[in-house]
Amino acid sequence: MGTGGFMAAGMLMPMVRFAIDPILKTEAASDMVDIDMKVDDITTEPQMKKFKVHQVDGWYESDVEQAAFVFKNDKGDIVALSPVCKHLGCTVDWGTNPAYPDEFFCPCHAGRYYKDGVNVEGTPPLAPLDVYEMDIKDGKVFLGKPMPHPKA
Amino acid sequence: MKWNSKEIDIYLTSKEYVDTAFITLIPISFNGEMKQSVAMGEFSTVLTNEIERQLHGRTLAFPPFTYLKSEEREKKLNRLKEWTSKLFEQGFQHLFLFTSDTEWKQFEHDLDAALIWLPVIPLEHMDGKYKAEILQEQTKQLLQIVTNKWQTES
Repeated sequence: MGTGGFMAAGMLMPMVRFAIDPILKTEAASDMVDIDMKVDDITTEPQMKKFKVHQVDGWYESDVEQAAFVFKNDKGDIVALSPVCKHLGCTVDWGTNPAYPDEFFCPCHAGRYYKDGVNVEGTPPLAPLDVYEMDIKDGKVFLGKPMPHPKA
Repeated sequence: MKWNSKEIDIYLTSKEYVDTAFITLIPISFNGEMKQSVAMGEFSTVLTNEIERQLHGRTLAFPPFTYLKSEEREKKLNRLKEWTSKLFEQGFQHLFLFTSDTEWKQFEHDLDAALIWLPVIPLEHMDGKYKAEILQEQTKQLLQIVTNKWQTES
């Protein structure tokens, strides 16, 4: 291979890399996952629902377990909140603190959130719980990615 | 938090919130006992991972403490005590040791950490959904043990 061939390889290489390297591929449009929950089963009481999301991280593919609190708010809208505490990432639970039965509570550092996911001021979390992207199809709930709360 | 570069960075900046250490005790043996040792290690690892995930912000899960089943008792006990005293020195206030190896039960009083013994459930013979339910039930109980300790000692 002469100098010309070497240079041609240099131009071609980046393109080949894009073609084969999964790390460089752009992510597919956000995938909505069927969480196996019917709209009719949703009440005003937040229910913890676990589901699996297929994740590709570079070359490593795995099924990651995720969870959401699904419920109907005062307006009757269905909401899916992420249970991951915005303080340091523990898992919050609904109504487990007897002093605050209608709030989400984090067992690690006593962080609290109102039912709509907004953090109670003066407790450790500095932001509201994330809200999942959601789709309702054929009476079933599909969730996408957890996104920052609209009130954040 | 886990023992990896990304999460240790978070630990280093929020040390004051992390006062609890998790260590899994994993035996290694060969021949007839090999399979049993593997199952023990696997089971306690799965549970430690799950409870770490739920109590992520206040706990640091250390790499497992591994030992040969044939290692002399005093020797492995002293080795483990060296770990635990180092961790207390580093400011950890609550130490939890997770294991499925019954041998540690005899040493429970010699250890200054909370030893949690988990009887192995043969998960390999169960289907996915049932397995998840059992693990969830087990983690729930572990969570209670840990959070109770936090409440009574703070």
